[in-house]
Amino acid sequence: MADSSGFEIQFHIVGDRAISVVLGDVISLEVNSRVRVLKQVIEGRHIEGITEMVPTYTNLIIHYKPEIIRYSKLMKLLGELTFGLKPKETVSEMVVEIPILYGGELQTDLEECATLQKVSVEELIRMHCGSLYYTYMLGFAPGHPYLARFENPFSFKRRECPRVKIPGGSVVVAEGLSNLIPFDQPCGWNIIGHTPVRIFDAYKQPPSLVNAGEWVKFVPITAEEYVEIKERVKNGTYECKSYPKESAR
Amino acid sequence: MNLHFESGGFLTSIQDGGRFGYQDIGISPAGPMDRRAFNLANILVGNSMDEAAFEITFSGPTISFGCDNIIAITGAEMTPYLDGEPCPMYEAVAVKAGQTLRFGKLESGMRSYLAVSGGLDVPLVMGSRSTLIRNQIGGFEGRAIRKEDKIPLRSPKASLKHMNRRVVLERILFADTLEVRVIRGPQDSRFTEQGFRTFFSGLYTVSNEQDRMGCRLDGPKIEHVLDANIISDGIVTGSIQVSGNGLPIIMLSDRQSTGGYTKIATVISVDLPILGQAKPGNRIRFIEIDIVKAQKLYIKEQKWLKRLEAKWRTEKEAR
Repeated sequence: MADSSGFEIQFHIVGDRAISVVLGDVISLEVNSRVRVLKQVIEGRHIEGITEMVPTYTNLIIHYKPEIIRYSKLMKLLGELTFGLKPKETVSEMVVEIPILYGGELQTDLEECATLQKVSVEELIRMHCGSLYYTYMLGFAPGHPYLARFENPFSFKRRECPRVKIPGGSVVVAEGLSNLIPFDQPCGWNIIGHTPVRIFDAYKQPPSLVNAGEWVKFVPITAEEYVEIKERVKNGTYECKSYPKESAR
Repeated sequence: MNLHFESGGFLTSIQDGGRFGYQDIGISPAGPMDRRAFNLANILVGNSMDEAAFEITFSGPTISFGCDNIIAITGAEMTPYLDGEPCPMYEAVAVKAGQTLRFGKLESGMRSYLAVSGGLDVPLVMGSRSTLIRNQIGGFEGRAIRKEDKIPLRSPKASLKHMNRRVVLERILFADTLEVRVIRGPQDSRFTEQGFRTFFSGLYTVSNEQDRMGCRLDGPKIEHVLDANIISDGIVTGSIQVSGNGLPIIMLSDRQSTGGYTKIATVISVDLPILGQAKPGNRIRFIEIDIVKAQKLYIKEQKWLKRLEAKWRTEKEAR
């Protein structure tokens, strides 16, 4: 069954408790928008038995309880819902502002990246925070977003050797992507800066700072502001600004 | 009123039914590796089947009881002793304040479950008491149980109705060669016919690299049409990824929510407990089954568990 763009939507059985709906075969804003729209449409239908849905770049994984709804019945409902699915403007897309300290005392690869990009450090910083980043999905670690910029991708790839450990709060870049690292972990990307805010907090609702379909705006801060914000985060008195995208920039 | 761990055991953690609803923000559901044994332990002590209990891996802890309680131990045969006397498994056992439970040699399987009546008093984190050790979320302080830990009990019971009926006769059969039923896909088109023949006829061995995240297998290499890379896609518990080296990895309770390798098949829900009890050296043979049969098996098992739950529910809890 094709949607209005001509791509044949596919349904795959993923074991006995999940179905994967494939909305495209390339990583693009358009394909990902279809995934988000489908998720919202299904949520709106309140199908009993669906326990959660996981959007990825091109697919929507639907987890369900077979004791409540069997595979064949769910497939029939999904078939009806996906027929003629048009990518449309969903609810207003949100922008989340994330403070970032470029350089500073914590280790970064700023200078190395600037050299690879053949620009000054200041220009690299301007490049990085000059674009909005789109959140394709979350995965790999709690709250870990896959963020992409759609103009002027960086020219450098991942590092030759991944580092055994980089700190949580690191902001990393490679080519057209920039990610936020929630916890200390190994990483092969280039560190461009650090954010003092919590990318993931198990005790907040929602626990993730950034969510699929949202846009991120990086806002440069000074070393003093970094310390101040970190303190306010600890006291629970700091909130990242967020607003609808139309009013951004 | 608590349990005092005089030793923590190799890897003991608190798990409940699992943390669901947050996979879209990268949270693994965690939960028990042998769900059937876990459910049974809870039902035996009058708990709801998904109540928080202890998952005990490979070598067990030593626990002294701070108050009278009813416990049940299921899963792997880890020769439990209560005050030096063999403690029966798969039945509700009354313990008294001051008694000590310890475990001896692991005879078969890999993971045992210890449920206590009334459940464990650790905080709900994102709706669940399951421990996701890798990300330090939930359970007891987000980690495995250690020596000297004191775990509070929610509402311990000194007695339960129908104690003599609280026995399960259906046990796990531990074998060296395990048959695991799977549903093919979702990236079945990325494997050749030969690849599928290898997968379904081959005998695979559980490697040393197996834990709550996944189980790596050694054995005949599975042939891809092109390569093993896909656009990062969702993973479910039971997903079998095959990377560039042609070897299968079965993703389990603590698996990440997304991954970039082709998936040849998914283990059916009722066979996941087999992987929860698999040890390095066990052989695995994959058997294809269709989704209709798989779901019938799953529903049948759920009904069986619910019948047991109803059978032993005390009057207080019956609604």
